[in-house]
Amino acid sequence: MFYSILFKTKEQHEQKRCTDEPDCFKDLNLNQIFNQVLKNKKEFKLESLFYTPLQDVEIISYRQEVMHDLENEKLRRIISNFSKNIYNIDKNMIKITEALTSKKSYENNYLTRGMLLNCAEKYCTEINNLVDGLKENKLHSEGLNSFAEYLLDYIESDTFKEFYSHVIRLQNQLSTVEYCMYIKNGTIRVRKYEGEIDYSQKLLKCFEKFRQGEVKDYHKKLDEEPIATHVEAEVLNMVASLYKDIFTDLNIFCEKYMYFIDNTISRFACEIQFYLSWLEYILPLRQVGLPFNYPKLVDNAEHIYVREGFDLALAFITRENTVTNDFILNTPERIMVVTGPNQGGKTTFARAFGQMHWLASLGLCIPGSEATLNIFDNIFTHFAREEDLSSLNGKLQDDLIRLHDLLKKATNRSIIIVNEIFSSTTLSDALVLGQYMMDAISKIGAIAVVVTFLDKLAYHGEETVSMVSIVNESDPTERTYKIIRKPPDGLAYAIHIANKYNLTYEQICRRLKK
Amino acid sequence: MKVNLMFRNKDFVVKSESDSIIDTLANDLGFKYIISNMSQGDKIISNACTTALFNPLQSIDEICYRQENLIDALRKPDVIRQLYDITIETEKKRKNSFYWLSSSYISSVYSNAIGLLKIYIEMLMKLRRIADKEVAGFQSEGFLNFFTMLQRELNDDYFAEVNSHLNELSESNGMLISSKLGNYLQGVGYVLRCKNQKGFWRKWTFAPSYTIAPRDDIGAADLGKRRDRAINEVSNALAQAAEHLESFFAKLRNELAFYVGCINLAKSLKMIKMPICIPKLIPIEQRKRSYRNLYDVGLALTKNDAIVGNDIDTTDKLLYIITGANQGGKSTFLRSIGQAQLMAQCGMFVGAEEFLAPIRNGVFTHFKKEEDSSMKSGKLDEELSRMSKIVDVISWGSLVLFNESFSSTNEYEGSEIFRQITKALIDNNVEVFSVTHFYTYATDFLNEKNTEFLRAERLENGERTFRIVKGEPIKTAFGEDLYRKIFADSL
Repeated sequence: MFYSILFKTKEQHEQKRCTDEPDCFKDLNLNQIFNQVLKNKKEFKLESLFYTPLQDVEIISYRQEVMHDLENEKLRRIISNFSKNIYNIDKNMIKITEALTSKKSYENNYLTRGMLLNCAEKYCTEINNLVDGLKENKLHSEGLNSFAEYLLDYIESDTFKEFYSHVIRLQNQLSTVEYCMYIKNGTIRVRKYEGEIDYSQKLLKCFEKFRQGEVKDYHKKLDEEPIATHVEAEVLNMVASLYKDIFTDLNIFCEKYMYFIDNTISRFACEIQFYLSWLEYILPLRQVGLPFNYPKLVDNAEHIYVREGFDLALAFITRENTVTNDFILNTPERIMVVTGPNQGGKTTFARAFGQMHWLASLGLCIPGSEATLNIFDNIFTHFAREEDLSSLNGKLQDDLIRLHDLLKKATNRSIIIVNEIFSSTTLSDALVLGQYMMDAISKIGAIAVVVTFLDKLAYHGEETVSMVSIVNESDPTERTYKIIRKPPDGLAYAIHIANKYNLTYEQICRRLKK
Repeated sequence: MKVNLMFRNKDFVVKSESDSIIDTLANDLGFKYIISNMSQGDKIISNACTTALFNPLQSIDEICYRQENLIDALRKPDVIRQLYDITIETEKKRKNSFYWLSSSYISSVYSNAIGLLKIYIEMLMKLRRIADKEVAGFQSEGFLNFFTMLQRELNDDYFAEVNSHLNELSESNGMLISSKLGNYLQGVGYVLRCKNQKGFWRKWTFAPSYTIAPRDDIGAADLGKRRDRAINEVSNALAQAAEHLESFFAKLRNELAFYVGCINLAKSLKMIKMPICIPKLIPIEQRKRSYRNLYDVGLALTKNDAIVGNDIDTTDKLLYIITGANQGGKSTFLRSIGQAQLMAQCGMFVGAEEFLAPIRNGVFTHFKKEEDSSMKSGKLDEELSRMSKIVDVISWGSLVLFNESFSSTNEYEGSEIFRQITKALIDNNVEVFSVTHFYTYATDFLNEKNTEFLRAERLENGERTFRIVKGEPIKTAFGEDLYRKIFADSL
């Protein structure tokens, strides 16, 4: 029996998920990615799903299949509309049910009952539309097929059929009601409408003769929602006493169908957003030709690789000019040391590495044309941080404390990403501390990426692989953003960059004399 | 009626939108803590002080005008707070009254304008009474002019005249409205209907009825809205007068907010026994700095305790290079320099016992930054790009504060880039304070006459005093000390 579109079983679904943004998100720009993904989806509370990496290969492939199905654009549009609309109905119904079971008359009134009827009508329309929509599309995934089956059974049930016809009958009757209010000194009286004349028509006729040239229009668009529901409710009580049969039928309907939304359908509507939000997010990148793939997940780090991988957050800026990179690690290789000229894409490479692992563990399709990645327990990052006045700590101390914490928490199933630390200290300090760090990381046995300006670290041992950001040979200031596997070349091009920014001595003097 | 408490003859325009250059400057210099102490959670004070601080005055005359007003304010804090409270009360009354001129209901524009005018007149009366009572106790040009203006423009005859105008209002009589049912049975499609038909009164007397309870404000408002929906046509004549007064109170509020902020900060610093002084500014072309016990106000507030300050007396210096141990108080020193300059040039007191400095036509910071999260470029690129933007806006007489700049690349390259930049700045009379780890860079300036070398003090026994003293750079590193301390458990 179908339970959830995100997990194969109810038990898996109920396992605890992480509700806070993981520490590595900021450094990896995963926060940018998911903020964007979740931007218009706040209400679905999907955060914890993106915050919790899976370590079960079966669930990951259950999700990969569903997402594969949803790549069908027509199907995706149908399900997306359904999801949003059901969610809204569901949200409204929570308030309505609460009000209708309340003993307070200002909550449990004809307005609330009117809302229930309104929701019921929308719900029926949505269900019917989805059933038609699913029939028109072929489904391959276990998850969606099993949901479609569930839905068919539901719509054929007597309960649903009876419910639907009652909705239609009531709506027809209520559209015949029209009444008049007489308001004076804080009192409202109500009677049926009996053809009384429209005052504004009379007034217009009366003032017609004064009409001159153009004047500013002071008419305002006024919204038609009542601001005091209790007053509106009292008015409706009076109207109900004038139209007894119709309103009695409405009361019967409300008692019978207070909880008409099916739980499984409602859960589906919310959870399917996990896939929809992701596919919507990567769509513009696919349109410019960037590759995405469903990676193979393995539990041993013997052979992991990505072909044509890229930093997803950056790709939204660089678009079709995005540079892709490959990497491969074969046992005993575990640590990639990335060196090379500044601004050559080293940080981007490190981020992409972390991002692709995280995304793969969620069952999403990830950047790259082909990949095998490792199941991990956590990703630990250490990027340079802005000095925080309140911590009253120096930067180096801060760096070291953070590194210490990181190394303490990491296991041989973790992924460690360290980016340009020790840059705030002297060259000799940095070298010594860098070596200490490499010793420690290799002892833990985790997979790691270390971005550094210290070439020496690339020669640490058999577990290290040297990756270098390369430059265009004919123009050293031009960056290719390609990161390839080769020994460090010790080159840096800082002065050329200074020149590019008009910041050499002569250039600044010229600029300041203007 | 003009306020003119910030400038002798122009308005003080508070900018509430944030500006990335100001944000960087405020953040680098630790102004967050200072401004939050000044404002004590009051957004208006915060905006006013932010505007004042980050738009430094260039004229010694303008600075003195504010300093004089400030001295009055510090001497009569209660009066200033009373005045400010009146402006706050006015705003609160305005807000709580729900008298919005921008109301979407035409019928309320008229009644709201009347309501607002009544409030403003009442509050102007209060201001005048304070002026009558307190004017004798003030000496500054700004406050004296303000008080006498209130007394002149708002005499008793004027109030009587306005009030008589405002005491005229009428309520509309009963009305008949028809309605249909909307998607959830709410009334829609209101149409105002004629009442004067045969048998109208007889029929309606026995119709079912509902009366709004005496204290049911929302219900009463709801009836008003029903009326609006039916009529949708009224005048808005008094709205403009109300709008002018609203703007007068807003200006007064913003200008007083600056002085209240100063009063708050002075009080906090007094409580932790840290000194303040009215600074002395000298013309931009003079090269002289002199401080006694200059300290980082932000840090003192964060620690909520007395902290170490620094002394300097220099003449003919343009470049200050600060080196020495990590956590030795270098960043703190740099912040105290930037803070004092901006505080002095907005007419405030500064955190020191004595302070003398030349006017600077701008203060700029270039501090080492966290990895650029917009990802347009790598770190060095980002640093250079920021530097280039600074070069775009600085000129003869600016002040630039560097904190470990260009450390995103290695020491050899970083030193060369940085040396060229620094030399170019001082050769064009831009004053530079530079905190650096680059020994190579620092020693390049050993032969420059206009350079002052400062160092984070470290005693013989290795203890740090957090004091910045005269001293040339030494080639030592303290990184391993720290490593041993932090990794003690794993060594």
